[in-house]
Amino acid sequence: MQAVLSSDYSFAQFRFLERLLLVHGRWSYLRMCKFLRYFFYKNFTFTFVHFWYAFFCGFSAQTVYDEWFITLYNLVYTALPVLGMSLFDQDVNDTWSFQHPNLYVPGQLNQYFSKTAFFKCALHSVYSSVVLFFIPYAAMYDTVRDDGRDIADYQSFALLAQTCLVITVCIQLCLDMSYWTAVNQFFVWGSLAMYFVVTFSMYSNGTHINFPASFPFIGTARNSLNQPNVWLTILLTSILCVLPVVAYRFLLIQLRPTINDKVGTLTNHTGFCS
Amino acid sequence: MGKVKANAGPLARRPDNSAFKQQRLPAWSPMLTAQTVLPFFYGMATVCVLLGVWLLVTVQNTHELKVDYTHAGSCDKCFEKRKDRANANQSCNCTVVFNIENTFKGDVFFYYGLINFHQNLRQYMDSRDDGQMIGRNKNLKNPSSYCEPFMKDKNGLPIAPCGAVANSMFNDSFTLVYHSAASRQVVPLFRKGITWYTDKNVKFRNPQVENKTLTLAQVFEGTGQPLYWQKPVYDLDPWDRNNNGFINEDLIVWMREAAFPNFKKLYGVLNRAIEPFTEGLPAGNYSVDISYNFPVEYFQGRKEVVLSTVSWFGGQNNFLPIAYLVTGCLILLLAVILTAVWWKFAL
Repeated sequence: MQAVLSSDYSFAQFRFLERLLLVHGRWSYLRMCKFLRYFFYKNFTFTFVHFWYAFFCGFSAQTVYDEWFITLYNLVYTALPVLGMSLFDQDVNDTWSFQHPNLYVPGQLNQYFSKTAFFKCALHSVYSSVVLFFIPYAAMYDTVRDDGRDIADYQSFALLAQTCLVITVCIQLCLDMSYWTAVNQFFVWGSLAMYFVVTFSMYSNGTHINFPASFPFIGTARNSLNQPNVWLTILLTSILCVLPVVAYRFLLIQLRPTINDKVGTLTNHTGFCS
Repeated sequence: MGKVKANAGPLARRPDNSAFKQQRLPAWSPMLTAQTVLPFFYGMATVCVLLGVWLLVTVQNTHELKVDYTHAGSCDKCFEKRKDRANANQSCNCTVVFNIENTFKGDVFFYYGLINFHQNLRQYMDSRDDGQMIGRNKNLKNPSSYCEPFMKDKNGLPIAPCGAVANSMFNDSFTLVYHSAASRQVVPLFRKGITWYTDKNVKFRNPQVENKTLTLAQVFEGTGQPLYWQKPVYDLDPWDRNNNGFINEDLIVWMREAAFPNFKKLYGVLNRAIEPFTEGLPAGNYSVDISYNFPVEYFQGRKEVVLSTVSWFGGQNNFLPIAYLVTGCLILLLAVILTAVWWKFAL
């Protein structure tokens, strides 16, 4: 009894050991590593953008994003999707895990999250942050709205940068997830919808009239998100951030297919796994 | 989904055999196969190239003309004069001549531009009181401490509008003159309608008083003007009584801080009701008469005047069209490489 209380896992019969290792242990390792890599990626990207902006704001530590966005980014906009991925993700289902025990090898060889993997994730973040800052910067440099009024102001640029970021990390998560349950769908699309709902309500007239110092971004969402210019910038940023990753992963699958890829093609002719 | 419940006995604490708890939820497992990835890449390449071409054509149809007037023409002596703060009270007027080669068809917008003026410095951006600007009476006489050192003037009166942003307001004024063959004609510009609707109507409001007969000067009694200003806030626009106080459009435009050190802000819109400006700005010789007040020597900045037409895509910024074209070509290259790899190794 004491052994049970002080152990991480306990089970009653030896035949359960196979399932514990090959199914749950493997999934747990996979989920943990995917979670860590994605979490580091999204936060490094978010932070490195401020590094690039420092060159343009006189190194005065001015944030690129709205302060409320910085507060809510990890709390509301990207918390649930990554939680969903780390709870539900499976690369192959349990039956196939039993049939191909060599799927367990990547875990033994520490392949999914190592110093190399972390370094690659950091490099990916640096590239993403360069795209996420300099494309909006160049697109908004010296331009105006379609009625001639200002769009290159700090608040519109902050809104543009944060929208680009949220959409790009969301697409990156969609690429990382390999098991889309209804719960995951709800979390991902719900978080994106929450971003727009919260942004519009924070930038509305009522919040500013009641708390002018706390919510100074009034009108920004309405005045810049109706510009095609802004949406085309968001599209370009997402394309430039995501397509290299897709190409890289496709190349790896073709040139150096891992055990997971090979088993994955066996299981997934219909693309539907249940 | 079968749920087997046992409330008692040796199997009482067995977990439910439901799809959720046994991790068997129906799910979609997408994979990166050649059938999905390659057509997608070719499709995206086509979309990007087409978008790039379309945007390039749109942007090439806009016109923009920038005239740097920091030292140009007779503004040289004004530049020298403004180097000395003691001359701040004296006015200085100068003229810059330029030529428009092709007619600017459509709505023409007149901007003033600043180079190397960092409106995005953190302490500068914090130095304002939005509560005062929205017309709260409490904040009018008690501005926020974020406005230091532009909170009280030398007489101890609270400054309205307080803060470094309002204090550094751009105060050059311009008159655009068209020199046709026969005569010189002042180009009529609308000096209102240059702000966002939400700025003009919600974010910036004059303080409300019950006694509606008070003049704006009386409403602002007990406050001082910002340290670097020559006129108080209730007298910014002597010609239009409704364009004074915190709702003065030039003040609102200036208070919307720019994101980068090189920026332009809207000054006026061409009034196309008057000949010969009904189609836009005709080609020819122009001059700008400038009341040169804003000193830029202190931060190695420059000042310019910008005339621009716009399209549905905005002003003349060629970056996005060219970026789309380059991206389209890169994606096409990548797609070809991926197809070659798939052809050689997978088939």
